Amino acid sequence: MALGQVILFIVDLLALFSIYLIINLGLNLQQGITGIPNFGLVLAVAGGAYITASLSTRLAIYLLNVHTNLDPIINNVSVLQLVNPILRSSPWLSTGLLALFLIIGGASGALMGLISSAPAVRLREDYLAITLLAFGEILNVVGTGYDPLIGGPPGTSLPDIFGWAGQYRFYWATLIMFLVAVIIFVYIERLVRTPFGRVLRAIRDNENTARSLGKDITRYRMSSILIGSILCGIAGALWALYSGAVTPSYDRFDYTFLPWLMILLGGIGSNIGTVVGTLVFVTLDELIDYFKYAFAPFLPFNVVWLNYLLLGLLTIFILIYRPEGIVREKWTSVPAAPPPAGEAKPG
Amino acid sequence: MATMLSVKEVAASFGKLRALDGVTLSVGEGSVTLLIGPNGSGKTTLVNVITGFQRPDGGHVFYGEREITGWSPQRVYRVGITRTFQVPSLFGKLTTIQNLLVADKTNPGESFLKSHIRRLWINHERETVEKASRILQTLGLAEQSDKPVSVLSGGQMKLTELGRALMSDAKLYLLDEPISGVNPTLALEIFARIVSLRKQFGVTFLIIEHRLDIALKYVDYVNVMASGKLIAAGTPTQVVSDSKVIEAYLAR
Repeated sequence: MALGQVILFIVDLLALFSIYLIINLGLNLQQGITGIPNFGLVLAVAGGAYITASLSTRLAIYLLNVHTNLDPIINNVSVLQLVNPILRSSPWLSTGLLALFLIIGGASGALMGLISSAPAVRLREDYLAITLLAFGEILNVVGTGYDPLIGGPPGTSLPDIFGWAGQYRFYWATLIMFLVAVIIFVYIERLVRTPFGRVLRAIRDNENTARSLGKDITRYRMSSILIGSILCGIAGALWALYSGAVTPSYDRFDYTFLPWLMILLGGIGSNIGTVVGTLVFVTLDELIDYFKYAFAPFLPFNVVWLNYLLLGLLTIFILIYRPEGIVREKWTSVPAAPPPAGEAKPG
Repeated sequence: MATMLSVKEVAASFGKLRALDGVTLSVGEGSVTLLIGPNGSGKTTLVNVITGFQRPDGGHVFYGEREITGWSPQRVYRVGITRTFQVPSLFGKLTTIQNLLVADKTNPGESFLKSHIRRLWINHERETVEKASRILQTLGLAEQSDKPVSVLSGGQMKLTELGRALMSDAKLYLLDEPISGVNPTLALEIFARIVSLRKQFGVTFLIIEHRLDIALKYVDYVNVMASGKLIAAGTPTQVVSDSKVIEAYLAR
């Protein structure tokens, strides 16, 4: 690979890594820390992507004072031709809109989390998993069948809030996504070390005992699903803004199965493990994507299956050799007790 | 002696099985009361009903003057009743001391919003850690404090559970077989500790235990159940000489 290609490869990898890291941290908070088997992640990710996409062009017209009689979804391309030049000329305006869209993404994720969890959190773990799995399918049906949302099967484009970076658009977009992922990592890592995080882990380890110790487990589970769904929503919105368009094709494979595989690989319950699992998986997947055609002459099957073979092999590898993942959950320390009263301070 | 807990005509069933068939008993304030009976006589079910883990089909439960029938486990805990489980029910991936810390009732850091501002909870947390360390010290678990509970022995798990119950500052403790799997010396110590706690803080204990050799020496009052009914009640000496008790539980 030439240097240019290596850089492109890494930037691509970083973008995918950042998106998945955000989703996976959300999943790890739910499954790894709180013990909620959320098989419906895709609902929050797609919710963040679709609702943000649906509102983005409409909001841009309104906020940028663009006067047009065209419909922002049906005549999407023509409307964006009016909006994008304004955004290209103003990085600050674009970044302001980005912040707004991320908030919308997070709120949409939260809404989806609320919808799916409200009836579900009272259920026992196994029923909860099935209920969430079923909820995950709803949004694609709506996205495909109801055109005003994101224009039906052809999808819709979003205002290009990274347009100001010109030919460096993808570098800047990737950098911003990476920064968001890092901020979220630090936030979640701090959160699980508070007494709040300790109660979540207690509920995961023993629901009944947690109840006998006065914990309102329904509320804690709701909080966990909400935070996780907000993260998924933010990731969905970011991915839509990065790619510039959405179609109703956010499926369970990409946004539920893969995140599960990554957190199992990294070590469930550990945020560091989540980072490692995400990085290892995304890297392997991208490497295969990049090099698979070189293998075409030697393989008796189509090389597109190589990615799926990786998944299968990884799953088997994890289950047989490292069921606990690459990184084990760490025992977090407790703050030191205050020194006994009356004891002289040293010095 | 005022009544701490009274159970009136409580019935509960699993399908066709009547686990509790109109049980009436009371526990005096500041007493150490034992609840014995053959396996399957309904002792644990009674504790489950009192602590809100199972809804009774009928009857009433009073905590002092207050009726608590059908309350949720959270509410029962908050009002001052703490229970332990027959099978050690620890938080397996937390350390021993963290298991105790979870039992704290008033830690502001357990609220999602407040957990973001460390200053709001760190002092409370430090005090709780100190209290938990003291309890672990008295139970001889100081060295296990920062180990995950999954590496503890069965007896140590029992002790951790007792320690966790003590964190709650409850007025009434319902202990389900606190010394099963604990060696005799330690078992004696646990009961001695229970009695001294009662003296110190005036708290009340209702204890389910099969090891009468140890337990009887320390308790004031004994309730005996068989087949979902209370068949006898009285002081230890009265109960062990009761013919119904001998037939149902002590003989063979």
